[in-house]
Amino acid sequence: MTERLKELLATRALPHDGIIGAGSWCAEVCGDSDITVREGVAAQLLIVDGDCTAEVNIDVERGGELRILHVVSHRSAVNVAVAMAEGAKCIMSQLVVSPSDTRVVASLMGRDAQFDFGGAFVLTDDDAASVAVDVNHISSDCVSRTVVKGVASGESHGSFSGLVYVAPDAQRTNSEQLSRNITIGNAHIETLPQLEIYADDVKCSHGATVGQMDADAILYMRQRGLSLTTAKRLQIEGFVDDVVLHLSIAGVEDVLMELMAEKLNRL
Amino acid sequence: MLKVENLHATVGDKEILKGINLEVKAGEVHAIMGPNGSGKSTLASVLAGNEKFTVTEGKVEFEGENLLELPIEERSRKGLFLGFQYPVEIPGVTMANFMKIAVNEQRKSRGLEPLTAAEYLKMMREKSAIVELDAKLTSRAVNEGFSGGEKKKNEIFQMAMLDPKLAILDETDSGLDIDALRIVATGVTRLKREDNATVVITHYQRLLDYIVPDYVHVLYKGRIIYTGDKTLALKLEKEGYDWLINDYKEE
Amino acid sequence: MEKTTKDIIQELETGDYKYGFVTDIETETIGRGLSEDVIRLISEKKGEPDWMLERRLKAYRHWLTLKHPEWAHLDIPEIDFQDVIYYAAPKQKKALNSMDEVDPELKRTFDKLGIPLEEQMALAGVAVDAVMDSVSVKTTFRDTLAEKGIIFCSISEAIKEHPELIKKYLGSVVPYTDNFYAALNAAVFSDGSFCYIPKGVRCPMELSTYFRINAEGTGQFERTLIVADEGSYVSYLEGCTAPRRDENQLHAAVVEIVVEKDADVKYSTVQNWYPGDKEGKGGIYNFVTKRGICRQGAHLSWTQVETGSAITWKYPSCVLQGDNSSGEFYSVAMTNNYQQADTGTKMIHIGRNTRSRIVSKGISAGRSQNAYRGLVRVAKGADNARNYSQCDSLLIGDKCGAHTFPVVDCFNPTAVLEHEATTSKISEEQLFYCNQRGLTTEDAVGLIVNGYAREVLAKLPMEFAVEAQKLLSLSLEGSVG
Repeated sequence: MTERLKELLATRALPHDGIIGAGSWCAEVCGDSDITVREGVAAQLLIVDGDCTAEVNIDVERGGELRILHVVSHRSAVNVAVAMAEGAKCIMSQLVVSPSDTRVVASLMGRDAQFDFGGAFVLTDDDAASVAVDVNHISSDCVSRTVVKGVASGESHGSFSGLVYVAPDAQRTNSEQLSRNITIGNAHIETLPQLEIYADDVKCSHGATVGQMDADAILYMRQRGLSLTTAKRLQIEGFVDDVVLHLSIAGVEDVLMELMAEKLNRL
Repeated sequence: MLKVENLHATVGDKEILKGINLEVKAGEVHAIMGPNGSGKSTLASVLAGNEKFTVTEGKVEFEGENLLELPIEERSRKGLFLGFQYPVEIPGVTMANFMKIAVNEQRKSRGLEPLTAAEYLKMMREKSAIVELDAKLTSRAVNEGFSGGEKKKNEIFQMAMLDPKLAILDETDSGLDIDALRIVATGVTRLKREDNATVVITHYQRLLDYIVPDYVHVLYKGRIIYTGDKTLALKLEKEGYDWLINDYKEE
Repeated sequence: MEKTTKDIIQELETGDYKYGFVTDIETETIGRGLSEDVIRLISEKKGEPDWMLERRLKAYRHWLTLKHPEWAHLDIPEIDFQDVIYYAAPKQKKALNSMDEVDPELKRTFDKLGIPLEEQMALAGVAVDAVMDSVSVKTTFRDTLAEKGIIFCSISEAIKEHPELIKKYLGSVVPYTDNFYAALNAAVFSDGSFCYIPKGVRCPMELSTYFRINAEGTGQFERTLIVADEGSYVSYLEGCTAPRRDENQLHAAVVEIVVEKDADVKYSTVQNWYPGDKEGKGGIYNFVTKRGICRQGAHLSWTQVETGSAITWKYPSCVLQGDNSSGEFYSVAMTNNYQQADTGTKMIHIGRNTRSRIVSKGISAGRSQNAYRGLVRVAKGADNARNYSQCDSLLIGDKCGAHTFPVVDCFNPTAVLEHEATTSKISEEQLFYCNQRGLTTEDAVGLIVNGYAREVLAKLPMEFAVEAQKLLSLSLEGSVG
């Protein structure tokens, strides 16, 4: 783990009861934990996985707002469950750069709740990682958006499973789900973007793509003098940056960039 | 500066260039015209080093070096610029970042220090003014969501940034309205010097009103079948290519 | 007075399944239940050679080891496989030589279904194999087709007359080990169509099989095998209906298609088995395995309009084995009342430069559940594979469900795969707009649904497309609200 992360973890550790107030917090996950964001509170939370299997249960109470940045850089299996009450909002970014299994279950329990997820996995060598994002629209008038971008190179195996569930009566649900992937070398990509809908007044869409780097773009960049390696790296960065840098927790951007750069050099 | 001798190139099994001869000297402007499918864009691509095409015969010398041996990016760093007919969109890669890398790669290959952030910003401001490119565009992803005119202006902006010895502009005028055409063309003219050269590939005389060529070549079926001065373009605009093609067939 | 939506619903609820009649014809059946003896009996009744019986028994023994599949998004009541009659045949005196010998009652049945067995079909230029319950009743146009070397007959006849082709191809695309219902079908299939198009022959007319369940308590297990030899072309149509009954009847078919080098096969289905009444009583359980294999440069296109059956479990698939082969799947699946459908396709890319396209349009109404399930797999050696999938769902009413379960599985880094899906409902604005222009709500819904399904309907042969359009509007009756 980088020094910077250690520092953050030490200075902004979670309170023992898991009830967090306004401001930024950091949690290294080494076991199950419960976290609560009280009514009307706006907080930021950095979750860094330890080398373990764990569950993190998060409650965002009415009108609360939580921004989560989840960094997965160990061999871990972490489940993050976020329940959002009426008018609550959760914006979550996730970066996966190690062999791991992560699952996010977001439940929109109260009206007008909102969940916005941007994730990226970058896999190289013989990494195998799975990313699952289940969004449950339990209440009406909620909005969710899931974007997961995957890059797999070498002999790696990346898998995305997404489910948008819309309960009966969860009318006026607005949900988007997008899985975009780039494969390089002998990598294997599997994507399951699923919808399960039991209400009619809904706007739900999903999309999935599997493709390669854009040869025309690489040619274009090389014509302007960039080396092949730089052109490729730039394109992958461009591909995942919008989700990786989807939200910023002060002082973490450089940690993310570092993790990414390290991984991209192995592509 | 550029010397092309008997250049043949194929894509797949199909021969597209069938023996091109062309010499471009410093300070000159050449226009290449010709009907659709005659090989104009292929010539530009082959000179830039697009690996889709295979050179089967011939020589290309650029500044005394064998151009065909160099990879695309080396050609670029040595001062060959291709203005794309269809500039490529690169999502997520900002113009500013992209050009910074490109400029510094070129400087590195010439043994120069990379520009400082301040120098680079100053350079961007100056060069974007040449083509009246909205400064906001440089913070957006390369060509993404740019209008047709903005994309072409962006090509000339990049040309200004990289300051090439030889610029090959592939149908830079296509799809431009009259104002954008004027801006793009005057941009090119302003970059013109005694020590650089320009090859413009075009269908229309109107671009040549601004960028006055020293030579006009007509490319047909993979060969340059006729070379004249700037009056040739006017004649072609009025009379089309048929008279030339007919002459050529009789030969 | 202006009709309210409620009035319209009430009027529509009288909307009928028009194929719900029963033909009063003497039927020969065997007792309920399944055992090796029953299979021997079926084989004997069909006068089959020993090798065929052996195949059936092998499949049956394998079936005994299998469990009923549970993975689909379907609520399947337990099926008592010992309570099904596995063989039923309309009694006919002897083998048929000409049309005149077909039982007039049978002919009337098919006339009533809109499938006249002779003159009109001649005009329409369609050759028909009509299958009632367990046997093929009559195959038309055999002679005309024979001139071109095309074999089009019942599978029972093919087993006797073309054993070499049957031995080579039957079970080669869908082996009995494939799944529960494929095994059951391989053990007990009673009839179906066989079609062979020789090298380089373009079949001059549409070939068609019409399936009809008539007898009570029976299951229908037909088996269709189509072999398109190198460079040939055929367009094949399949239609299905059954009488209205309170009990559920089982239909478990297998369709196998072999598309040899550079051949082109188009398979169209309009499935309109009895869907059950509006309380969800009765209806056909439709468990179908359809799959084709494409050799080099071959092309297979599936088009289906699924409006019937209480339960539909069906995934017409393409195995793109040869280089440059391509597969297509166009589907409209409509469910109403208590119907359940879990349908989609598999596109298995194995050869290089293979292409596939999936367009699926689900329409759910009433209390029905409608799922698209699909797999696009690109194997390691399948360089430059391309797939485009589009799966849309339309919901009509707030008691139904629309689900999408696609899997994209890519082992090759040169593949370009795209999947898109949307879910929507018919908007109040659209209805209002249509109403304002003088359309009834019912007509407006019919219009909007047909517009929504148009891309798929356009893939059907003309005669079928018109029928399918009517069917879509008909199946929607009682759903507006």
